[in-house]
Amino acid sequence: MTISGLGPHGERAAPPERVSLLPGDRAAAKAAGWRVAVVMHTLDSDWAKQVLAGMVGILGDCGAAVVDVVDCGFSPERQVAELDRLVAERPDAIISLPVANEQVAAAHARVSAAGMKLVLLDNVPTGLLPGKHYTALVSADNFGLGKIAAEGLSPRLPDRAQVGVLGFAADFFATNEREIAFTKWMQANRPDIALHVRRFARIGNAADTAAALLADHPGLAGLFVVWDTPAMAVAAWTEARGTPLPIATVDLGESAAIGLAEGVSICCIAAQQPFLQGVAAAQTVILSLLGQPVPAWVALPGIGVTRENVVESFQAIWRQPAPRAVLRLLGLSPGK
Amino acid sequence: MRPLTLTSPVSGESLRPRGKGRPRTVETAAPSLVALLNLVRTGAANTRQELERHSEFGRAVVADRLTMLGELGLIDESELGAATGGRAPRLVRFAARRASVLVATLDQTAIGVGVADLSGNLLTEHHEAADLAVAPQDLTDRLTALFRWSMERQTAPGGLWGISLSVPGTVQGAAEEGFLSATPPVLPAWEGFPLVETLIRSFGVPLWMRSSVETMTVGELHAGAGIGLRSLLFVKVGRRIGAGIVCDGQLYRGAHGAAGLIGSLPVSSGGRSGTLDAMAGSDMIQREGMAAAQDERSPILADILRRGGEITAIEVAQAAQMGDAASVAILSRAGHLIGQVVATLANALNPELIVLSGSIVQTSDILLAALREAVYRASHPFVTRDLRIIRSQMGSSAGLVGAARVASEALFAPGFLKEWILQGSPLAHPSLSALRTRLAADAPPGGVPPLPPAARNGRETRA
Repeated sequence: MTISGLGPHGERAAPPERVSLLPGDRAAAKAAGWRVAVVMHTLDSDWAKQVLAGMVGILGDCGAAVVDVVDCGFSPERQVAELDRLVAERPDAIISLPVANEQVAAAHARVSAAGMKLVLLDNVPTGLLPGKHYTALVSADNFGLGKIAAEGLSPRLPDRAQVGVLGFAADFFATNEREIAFTKWMQANRPDIALHVRRFARIGNAADTAAALLADHPGLAGLFVVWDTPAMAVAAWTEARGTPLPIATVDLGESAAIGLAEGVSICCIAAQQPFLQGVAAAQTVILSLLGQPVPAWVALPGIGVTRENVVESFQAIWRQPAPRAVLRLLGLSPGK
Repeated sequence: MRPLTLTSPVSGESLRPRGKGRPRTVETAAPSLVALLNLVRTGAANTRQELERHSEFGRAVVADRLTMLGELGLIDESELGAATGGRAPRLVRFAARRASVLVATLDQTAIGVGVADLSGNLLTEHHEAADLAVAPQDLTDRLTALFRWSMERQTAPGGLWGISLSVPGTVQGAAEEGFLSATPPVLPAWEGFPLVETLIRSFGVPLWMRSSVETMTVGELHAGAGIGLRSLLFVKVGRRIGAGIVCDGQLYRGAHGAAGLIGSLPVSSGGRSGTLDAMAGSDMIQREGMAAAQDERSPILADILRRGGEITAIEVAQAAQMGDAASVAILSRAGHLIGQVVATLANALNPELIVLSGSIVQTSDILLAALREAVYRASHPFVTRDLRIIRSQMGSSAGLVGAARVASEALFAPGFLKEWILQGSPLAHPSLSALRTRLAADAPPGGVPPLPPAARNGRETRA
């Protein structure tokens, strides 16, 4: 699978294999006994839990203690305060997912200035440079995810259809890339389609934003929502009012997998590989602490998931069996 | 922002009674407004006392002009500085967020767009793969779509004041000041296509264009490894190889903006000779990589070929990074050739820092290592004593930052600024108004959206 996007500074992606650990690396890391802190945007989502599981496992293999796991609750103010607290506690490295752009840039720069390694997940505040303000970015190929979603939604759209795009209002590299790629693919491959873009500021507002968009454009034939949690809220709202629409989204969370198996609203999911992203982030931290050069951007390809391949995709991504509800809906497991 | 009025007739220019034919104070105020604004903008003076000292204008003139600049929204005096005994002075800050500038880099294989403030700081950026060989109309459509998307995400209160483009070739006729009124010849594929005219028609703002080597050098100097340096050599390695030269803290452009075209220099290696572009550029790396894949000298590249993959210079660089001997040899040879030419420049200019950039350099360490070896071997010991040779950390962002600096410097260049400062917006510059009128008259029927109205007194409609 190839990476179709470019990094935050136009970098070409390095594959996760570039940050593989050799037995000697693990032995050297164990002897050092490093302390690593993790700062996440949220700990509630399935995605965040899987990234954390991937990271913590590798860090454990390398004898590195995870000394703090912070849930910023999507709040830039909280993230700035927590990063400053961690800088004072001086772990050897911090893995952080910047929840905003400009508001959190200086706080992240202070981590590197204090001599700690900083590996970023998914987002780089504008102006921060690899090798200077942070060690590396580890993310999904978000541009590729937007493209996969567009390819998946397109067959469900009649000629000259109107399509809604629900983006995220925060200036955030990952969601920006998905939105740009979805729109670009549609403009290039389905020029007959009219796109209407709205952005929600909080997950709780996603359904209201969809409602406002549908009020302005009642003829919408499909929707793209930039990740699964708001997409499920929108799906629930459209289904409750009795007018479900085909929805494409990103991330194969448990509810989204069930939604896909039901086959009512969710028709295509561009899945990230959060467990492997966590693994790659932890390996990048260990290599950089060992003083080895690491690529500026490590990217993991996305996976296109439909009702037909949801079971094996779920297993491949989450490294666990698909939810019983999914198996039941697809007739693979008996039960009510 | 209110329309401009003078609060008191205080300047030396205005104390005398106004004789017949003598210009009104509000008109003669322009030179002092320009001087004071640029002192604030460049950080040379941050308080009223400092402004009086640096400008040699009297206290009343400074106070009056600052009021005018405040009304135009170009400065902000809401912050207090540190007291040095007595009352804390009010800080005078440039209102960099008064408006924004759209910037873009057009590369052979990628397009990057961003929004910058009036000090040239990037507020947002996005890069995507693109083929510069596509029809110029398609490229312009994509650029316009990305510009509109960027503007939607970043709304500056004063709207858009300019566009600055970084392009892969020398821009003929690009003067230090003044914006473009027609598309200069840059790439053969763009021959006859009105890129500049189309963008000015769509956005209604002045447009500047510089070569990517120039913008990246400026970006590296102001926001990358070159911060605070007086001498710097920037080398971009792609299909073409070019150098940017910084002397005494300033970009050296030469007589026609063509300084640093080192890619046309003749070099020879292994019995062959040609230009540096042909012997060490990415086309050669790709071609040699393909040959190594076809005759199985490179197992990694041969494998990519068998799986139906494409081999570009990036794949060769990635293979070299993984220890592929044939790819290492290709990049070492390129690095040595570039290094020999760079050594000549280094001996002529004695820079503090040499920055290497381009996606091949970003992907692999081999070319950088070979170049270092060649420069150190061929240079005078004094030249290399404290010389650092590094890889750019900014990537394509350097081009965006540099393009933003080109626009901000041009907007506030004294000769340009005095033509618009009293109106509070460069969209009221007479040359721009004339150009927009001409472009509107020349527009093909039916295909062009209406122009936004020209600005008056600091108000304009966003395009």
